[in-house]
Amino acid sequence: MVRYSVLDRTFSALSDPTRRHILERLARGPATISELAQPFDITLPGLLKHVRILEEADLVVTEKHGRTRQCRLGTEPLDDAEQWIQTYRHHWEGRLDRLASYLDKHKGARR
Amino acid sequence: MSFDLRLERTYDAAPEVVFDAFIDPEAQQELYADAPDWIVEATCDLRVGGRWTIAFGPPGGTPARETNVFQVVDRPRRLVYASTMAMPDGSNIDTSMEVTFEEEAGRTRLTIVQHGFPTPERREEFAGGWSSILDRLLRVVVAQ
Repeated sequence: MVRYSVLDRTFSALSDPTRRHILERLARGPATISELAQPFDITLPGLLKHVRILEEADLVVTEKHGRTRQCRLGTEPLDDAEQWIQTYRHHWEGRLDRLASYLDKHKGARR
Repeated sequence: MSFDLRLERTYDAAPEVVFDAFIDPEAQQELYADAPDWIVEATCDLRVGGRWTIAFGPPGGTPARETNVFQVVDRPRRLVYASTMAMPDGSNIDTSMEVTFEEEAGRTRLTIVQHGFPTPERREEFAGGWSSILDRLLRVVVAQ
Protein backbone atom coordinates (compact mmCIF):
# COMPACT_ATOMS: atom_id res chain seq x y z
CA MET A 1 0.00 0.00 0.00
CA VAL A 2 1.29 3.45 -0.86
CA ARG A 3 1.31 5.82 2.06
CA TYR A 4 0.54 9.08 0.29
CA SER A 5 1.21 11.30 3.27
CA VAL A 6 4.73 9.84 3.46
CA LEU A 7 5.19 10.32 -0.30
CA ASP A 8 3.95 13.90 -0.05
CA ARG A 9 6.43 14.64 2.68
CA THR A 10 9.21 12.95 0.76
CA PHE A 11 8.47 14.79 -2.46
CA SER A 12 8.07 18.15 -0.83
CA ALA A 13 11.34 17.61 1.05
CA LEU A 14 13.03 16.76 -2.26
CA SER A 15 11.53 19.70 -4.14
CA ASP A 16 14.27 22.07 -2.99
CA PRO A 17 17.72 22.11 -4.64
CA THR A 18 19.58 22.89 -1.40
CA ARG A 19 17.98 19.89 0.28
CA ARG A 20 18.85 17.66 -2.66
CA HIS A 21 22.47 18.82 -2.40
CA ILE A 22 22.44 18.01 1.30
CA LEU A 23 21.25 14.48 0.55
CA GLU A 24 23.84 14.02 -2.18
CA ARG A 25 26.53 15.12 0.26
CA LEU A 26 25.24 12.73 2.97
CA ALA A 27 25.12 9.84 0.51
CA ARG A 28 28.94 10.07 0.59
CA GLY A 29 29.01 9.87 4.39
CA PRO A 30 27.84 11.62 7.57
CA ALA A 31 28.61 15.31 8.11
CA THR A 32 28.11 18.00 10.73
CA ILE A 33 25.74 20.92 10.21
CA SER A 34 28.63 23.33 9.59
CA GLU A 35 30.26 20.94 7.11
CA LEU A 36 26.94 20.80 5.28
CA ALA A 37 26.63 24.59 5.30
CA GLN A 38 30.10 25.17 3.79
CA PRO A 39 29.33 24.81 0.08
CA PHE A 40 26.25 27.06 0.34
CA ASP A 41 25.86 30.76 0.83
CA ILE A 42 23.52 30.14 3.72
CA THR A 43 23.31 30.88 7.45
CA LEU A 44 23.44 28.02 9.94
CA PRO A 45 19.82 28.60 11.03
CA GLY A 46 18.82 28.59 7.36
CA LEU A 47 20.58 25.29 6.80
CA LEU A 48 19.15 23.88 9.99
CA LYS A 49 15.67 24.60 8.65
CA HIS A 50 16.37 22.48 5.57
CA VAL A 51 17.80 19.69 7.73
CA ARG A 52 14.65 19.74 9.90
CA ILE A 53 12.44 19.29 6.83
CA LEU A 54 14.59 16.38 5.66
CA GLU A 55 14.45 14.94 9.15
CA GLU A 56 10.65 15.13 9.26
CA ALA A 57 10.58 13.20 5.98
CA ASP A 58 12.87 10.53 7.54
CA LEU A 59 15.42 11.23 4.81
CA VAL A 60 17.99 12.46 7.31
CA VAL A 61 18.77 11.53 10.90
CA THR A 62 20.67 13.87 13.19
CA GLU A 63 22.46 13.11 16.44
CA LYS A 64 24.00 15.54 18.86
CA HIS A 65 27.67 14.89 19.64
CA GLY A 66 28.66 17.43 22.27
CA ARG A 67 28.36 20.82 20.61
CA THR A 68 28.03 19.57 17.07
CA ARG A 69 25.15 17.92 15.33
CA GLN A 70 26.01 14.99 13.07
CA CYS A 71 23.74 14.25 10.11
CA ARG A 72 23.40 11.08 8.09
CA LEU A 73 20.94 9.56 5.63
CA GLY A 74 17.71 8.07 6.96
CA THR A 75 17.83 4.94 9.10
CA GLU A 76 15.57 2.72 7.05
CA PRO A 77 18.38 0.34 6.06
CA LEU A 78 19.37 0.14 9.70
CA ASP A 79 15.80 -0.51 10.73
CA ASP A 80 15.83 -3.46 8.35
CA ALA A 81 18.70 -4.95 10.33
CA GLU A 82 16.92 -4.39 13.59
CA GLN A 83 13.77 -5.89 12.21
CA TRP A 84 15.72 -9.00 11.25
CA ILE A 85 17.15 -9.29 14.73
CA GLN A 86 13.72 -8.88 16.30
CA THR A 87 12.25 -11.50 13.99
CA TYR A 88 15.02 -13.94 14.84
CA ARG A 89 14.71 -13.19 18.54
CA HIS A 90 11.01 -13.88 18.39
CA HIS A 91 11.59 -17.20 16.57
CA TRP A 92 14.37 -18.29 18.90
CA GLU A 93 12.38 -17.49 22.01
CA GLY A 94 9.56 -19.67 20.73
CA ARG A 95 11.98 -22.46 19.83
CA LEU A 96 13.81 -22.38 23.15
CA ASP A 97 10.50 -22.50 25.05
CA ARG A 98 9.39 -25.45 22.96
CA LEU A 99 12.74 -27.14 23.60
CA ALA A 100 11.89 -27.04 27.31
CA SER A 101 8.53 -28.73 26.77
CA TYR A 102 10.12 -31.21 24.35
CA LEU A 103 12.70 -32.17 26.97
CA ASP A 104 9.99 -32.49 29.63
CA LYS A 105 7.88 -34.70 27.42
CA HIS A 106 10.77 -37.01 26.60
CA LYS A 107 12.09 -37.26 30.11
CA GLY A 108 9.84 -40.20 30.98
CA ALA A 109 10.87 -42.07 27.85
CA ARG A 110 14.55 -41.80 28.71
CA ARG A 111 14.36 -42.88 32.31
CA MET B 1 25.33 -0.46 18.29
CA SER B 2 25.33 -4.24 18.33
CA PHE B 3 24.19 -6.38 15.49
CA ASP B 4 24.38 -9.62 17.45
CA LEU B 5 21.54 -11.59 18.88
CA ARG B 6 22.20 -13.34 22.17
CA LEU B 7 19.83 -15.57 24.11
CA GLU B 8 20.25 -17.77 27.15
CA ARG B 9 18.09 -20.46 28.73
CA THR B 10 18.60 -23.06 31.42
CA TYR B 11 17.13 -26.54 31.03
CA ASP B 12 16.57 -29.20 33.63
CA ALA B 13 18.47 -31.89 31.72
CA ALA B 14 22.08 -32.95 31.09
CA PRO B 15 24.07 -31.16 28.33
CA GLU B 16 24.08 -34.36 26.18
CA VAL B 17 20.29 -34.46 26.26
CA VAL B 18 19.87 -30.77 25.42
CA PHE B 19 22.55 -30.94 22.71
CA ASP B 20 20.94 -33.96 21.04
CA ALA B 21 17.46 -32.43 21.16
CA PHE B 22 18.78 -29.14 19.77
CA ILE B 23 19.90 -30.75 16.50
CA ASP B 24 17.51 -33.73 16.35
CA PRO B 25 15.39 -33.48 13.14
CA GLU B 26 12.48 -35.00 15.01
CA ALA B 27 12.68 -32.35 17.73
CA GLN B 28 12.76 -29.65 15.01
CA GLN B 29 9.22 -30.71 14.07
CA GLU B 30 8.18 -29.10 17.33
CA LEU B 31 10.82 -26.42 17.76
CA TYR B 32 10.36 -24.83 14.34
CA ALA B 33 6.57 -25.02 14.31
CA ASP B 34 5.54 -21.49 15.27
CA ALA B 35 1.95 -22.75 15.05
CA PRO B 36 0.83 -26.37 15.62
CA ASP B 37 -0.14 -26.88 11.96
CA TRP B 38 3.20 -25.73 10.50
CA ILE B 39 5.04 -28.11 8.21
CA VAL B 40 8.65 -28.73 9.21
CA GLU B 41 11.12 -30.85 7.26
CA ALA B 42 14.57 -31.29 8.76
CA THR B 43 17.71 -33.29 8.03
CA CYS B 44 20.92 -33.20 10.00
CA ASP B 45 24.38 -34.52 9.13
CA LEU B 46 26.20 -33.81 12.39
CA ARG B 47 29.88 -33.51 11.46
CA VAL B 48 32.21 -30.68 10.49
CA GLY B 49 31.21 -29.67 6.95
CA GLY B 50 27.90 -31.54 7.31
CA ARG B 51 24.60 -29.87 6.51
CA TRP B 52 21.64 -29.26 8.73
CA THR B 53 18.57 -28.11 6.82
CA ILE B 54 15.19 -27.07 8.08
CA ALA B 55 12.27 -26.01 5.90
CA PHE B 56 9.36 -24.61 7.83
CA GLY B 57 6.19 -22.65 7.34
CA PRO B 58 2.40 -22.74 7.35
CA PRO B 59 0.70 -25.44 5.24
CA GLY B 60 0.14 -24.52 1.60
CA GLY B 61 2.69 -21.69 1.64
CA THR B 62 6.28 -21.51 0.41
CA PRO B 63 8.44 -22.53 3.37
CA ALA B 64 11.38 -20.59 4.74
CA ARG B 65 14.57 -22.63 4.40
CA GLU B 66 17.41 -22.58 6.84
CA THR B 67 20.63 -24.21 5.63
CA ASN B 68 23.35 -24.64 8.21
CA VAL B 69 26.87 -25.95 7.69
CA PHE B 70 28.70 -27.15 10.79
CA GLN B 71 32.11 -25.64 11.52
CA VAL B 72 32.61 -26.93 15.06
CA VAL B 73 30.90 -30.02 16.44
CA ASP B 74 31.98 -30.58 20.04
CA ARG B 75 29.27 -32.71 21.62
CA PRO B 76 27.91 -31.87 24.17
CA ARG B 77 29.63 -28.53 24.68
CA ARG B 78 29.59 -26.42 21.58
CA LEU B 79 28.26 -26.01 18.05
CA VAL B 80 29.37 -23.43 15.51
CA TYR B 81 27.71 -23.23 12.14
CA ALA B 82 27.16 -20.90 9.20
CA SER B 83 23.49 -20.29 8.67
CA THR B 84 21.68 -19.11 5.56
CA MET B 85 18.03 -18.28 5.83
CA ALA B 86 16.16 -18.19 2.53
CA MET B 87 12.85 -16.43 3.03
CA PRO B 88 9.71 -17.20 0.99
CA ASP B 89 9.99 -13.74 -0.62
CA GLY B 90 13.36 -14.69 -2.12
CA SER B 91 15.53 -12.68 0.27
CA ASN B 92 18.48 -14.30 2.00
CA ILE B 93 20.31 -13.58 5.19
CA ASP B 94 23.64 -15.09 6.19
CA THR B 95 24.57 -15.31 9.83
CA SER B 96 26.93 -17.32 11.96
CA MET B 97 25.74 -19.21 15.00
CA GLU B 98 27.52 -20.30 18.12
CA VAL B 99 25.64 -22.48 20.57
CA THR B 100 27.15 -23.50 23.89
CA PHE B 101 25.87 -26.02 26.42
CA GLU B 102 27.27 -25.57 29.93
CA GLU B 103 26.55 -27.87 32.82
CA GLU B 104 25.46 -26.16 36.02
CA ALA B 105 24.54 -28.44 38.93
CA GLY B 106 22.97 -31.08 36.74
CA ARG B 107 21.20 -28.54 34.57
CA THR B 108 22.27 -27.09 31.24
CA ARG B 109 22.70 -23.49 30.36
CA LEU B 110 22.19 -23.01 26.63
CA THR B 111 23.58 -19.83 25.06
CA ILE B 112 22.94 -18.77 21.50
CA VAL B 113 24.93 -16.03 19.82
CA GLN B 114 24.01 -15.17 16.28
CA HIS B 115 26.13 -12.63 14.39
CA GLY B 116 26.39 -11.31 10.89
CA PHE B 117 23.27 -9.21 10.69
CA PRO B 118 23.79 -6.26 8.37
CA THR B 119 26.73 -4.32 9.77
CA PRO B 120 27.63 -0.64 9.47
CA GLU B 121 29.64 -1.62 6.35
CA ARG B 122 26.47 -3.00 4.82
CA ARG B 123 24.92 0.36 5.64
CA GLU B 124 27.48 2.03 3.41
CA GLU B 125 26.35 -0.23 0.58
CA PHE B 126 22.80 0.79 1.35
CA ALA B 127 23.91 4.42 1.27
CA GLY B 128 25.19 3.74 -2.27
CA GLY B 129 21.80 2.30 -3.12
CA TRP B 130 20.25 5.35 -1.60
CA SER B 131 21.78 7.67 -4.19
CA SER B 132 20.12 5.73 -6.98
CA ILE B 133 16.80 5.75 -5.11
CA LEU B 134 17.14 9.51 -4.76
CA ASP B 135 17.89 9.80 -8.47
CA ARG B 136 14.72 7.90 -9.30
CA LEU B 137 12.68 9.99 -6.87
CA LEU B 138 14.08 13.17 -8.36
CA ARG B 139 13.04 12.06 -11.83
CA VAL B 140 9.52 11.51 -10.51
CA VAL B 141 9.51 14.90 -8.80
CA VAL B 142 10.79 16.62 -11.95
CA ALA B 143 8.19 14.86 -14.08
CA GLN B 144 5.38 16.15 -11.89
